[in-house]
Amino acid sequence: MEKLGKPTAPVITNVFEDLVKTIAFKKGMPDQRFVFVPHPVSGKPASTCREYLEGKDPITGKPVLQEIVEVLTKPLTEEEKKTGFIERPKPPRLAGPDTPENLQQLFLKNGWTDGLPIVLPTEEKVAEMLRGTSHKPDEMVAQMRPSPPHEAWEYTVEKVAINAVMAGAKPEYFPVILAVASTGVTSLFTSTTSFARMVVVNGPIRDQIGMNSGIGALGPFNHANATIGRAWTLISRNLGGGGTTGQTYLGSQGNNLNYNNLCFAEKEEELPEGWNPVHLQKGFKPGESVVSLFSGWSIIDNGGFKPYSFQEVMKRQSLSFFTSGTGNCFKNGVPDSAALTLLLDPLVAKDLKESQGFKTKEELGQWLIKNTFKSTWEYWACRPDDLKKAQEGVEPFASWLKLPPGALVPVPVFFDSNKPIEIIVVGGRTNPFWQAGDFNYIASASVDKWK
Amino acid sequence: MKKLKPWLLLGVFLLISLLATYALYADEAKITVLNPLGYSPPIRRVPMAPRLEALSGKTIYIVDVKFPLTEQFLAEMQKVLTEKYPQTNWVLRDKRGTYFDDDPGLWAEIKEKGSGVIMGIGH
Repeated sequence: MEKLGKPTAPVITNVFEDLVKTIAFKKGMPDQRFVFVPHPVSGKPASTCREYLEGKDPITGKPVLQEIVEVLTKPLTEEEKKTGFIERPKPPRLAGPDTPENLQQLFLKNGWTDGLPIVLPTEEKVAEMLRGTSHKPDEMVAQMRPSPPHEAWEYTVEKVAINAVMAGAKPEYFPVILAVASTGVTSLFTSTTSFARMVVVNGPIRDQIGMNSGIGALGPFNHANATIGRAWTLISRNLGGGGTTGQTYLGSQGNNLNYNNLCFAEKEEELPEGWNPVHLQKGFKPGESVVSLFSGWSIIDNGGFKPYSFQEVMKRQSLSFFTSGTGNCFKNGVPDSAALTLLLDPLVAKDLKESQGFKTKEELGQWLIKNTFKSTWEYWACRPDDLKKAQEGVEPFASWLKLPPGALVPVPVFFDSNKPIEIIVVGGRTNPFWQAGDFNYIASASVDKWK
Repeated sequence: MKKLKPWLLLGVFLLISLLATYALYADEAKITVLNPLGYSPPIRRVPMAPRLEALSGKTIYIVDVKFPLTEQFLAEMQKVLTEKYPQTNWVLRDKRGTYFDDDPGLWAEIKEKGSGVIMGIGH
């Protein structure tokens, strides 16, 4: 609006001061005037909102209303009238010389790590890592940003190598890490909701670099799984501008999955016949090595409950996984949908194929989409307009309103049926368990391209 | 004193050797590493719009960016501002879609009919 010549007073809740000032600076508006009110305002009654408006800005101490007027009317200062570019010092190519201990502290203090000690990226180690690819060190790989309003940073093959060294990766893992980096997808999304990510690796590269798709594949038991996943976090911090708490990362509680991003290899060898691995499902060919990235928030461990079949249990668990869904979201045009990704131990996959008759992953996904219905409480929370119709006697809503508590309405949970349910097979056959999460698919990238 | 001289010389020699060894060791323990940061884009300043001389007689838009469950705050803002500054026309508008979406139609309306904007509010 300022560009359109209209003086603008953004009113923000105070916990986002660092965030909005950072974004304003990066958008070329370092002197943008803001007005802050107490946090949060969502869900507050009108009387509280009035108190906030008639009270003081928690940051400046000035009366809020007076501040709004000043933002719109106080003449611009000479600083505010400036044009041109804002100078930002370029980061030096090297750090040091200093002792390894001091450099570890420097990296930690600068926010260049995940809080854990890193492998210091000497020129020798980085050169060794670069031997893992045929691509030139100064080749631009991609751009990455923590989320849409933020600026995008760009990075070269060498920069990815530096972060791969820091993660403790070996040169033979480097094409996988480059493939992840090439997507430009951050693992540290800005949102206040504390996103998580997942990396699934398919193809011959899994065995070539010794990845784990069996016992403990999702746990801290394998060097390749651990360091490839970790590298993505470091790349997201250092090359994507993410992970600065309060500015580019706002996850209220954070997400422990961000340490390693659930990096594992799919157990392709134990896929039931007719069940394709993820990379084939995404359009790649057999024999290709591919990384696929997913996004969600949480994952839970599940086992069977007799006498129910596995899919019946999955159906009930799916009710936990709607990713948005308050009535307000729906009213504002955000569909109340759910996402689901299932990580099945091979024993579970085998049973679903042989005993339950699901010939493909897609058949299981479709069955869950068609047969998982919303609970009454969720439905009315998501669809306040339909609740109003129900109360006015409009069918079928009126009949649904008469359903007993705990009943299901015949409306599918997976509203957005264009998004499939993702099914991945991984595990060591020690127990027919599976893990289910509110993840959906983001992107895949060829590893072979980066060899 | 003559008897002390050799011992004194030996002591000085040992001290110098010790210092030299320490310096050498300290230098050898230092390393250089590569900076892990990516390249941020240049920032071009966006000039701020000239400010209004007064609000009286002007139309100021209050834009609700549509973060869930915050509409009551903007509605109350319109009420309070109208009470306090009745000579100003405070127009409340919902931005189209969700807080992710752009609304070029609204921006065009404000450009044509508005003198200023208040925009809010996340969370």
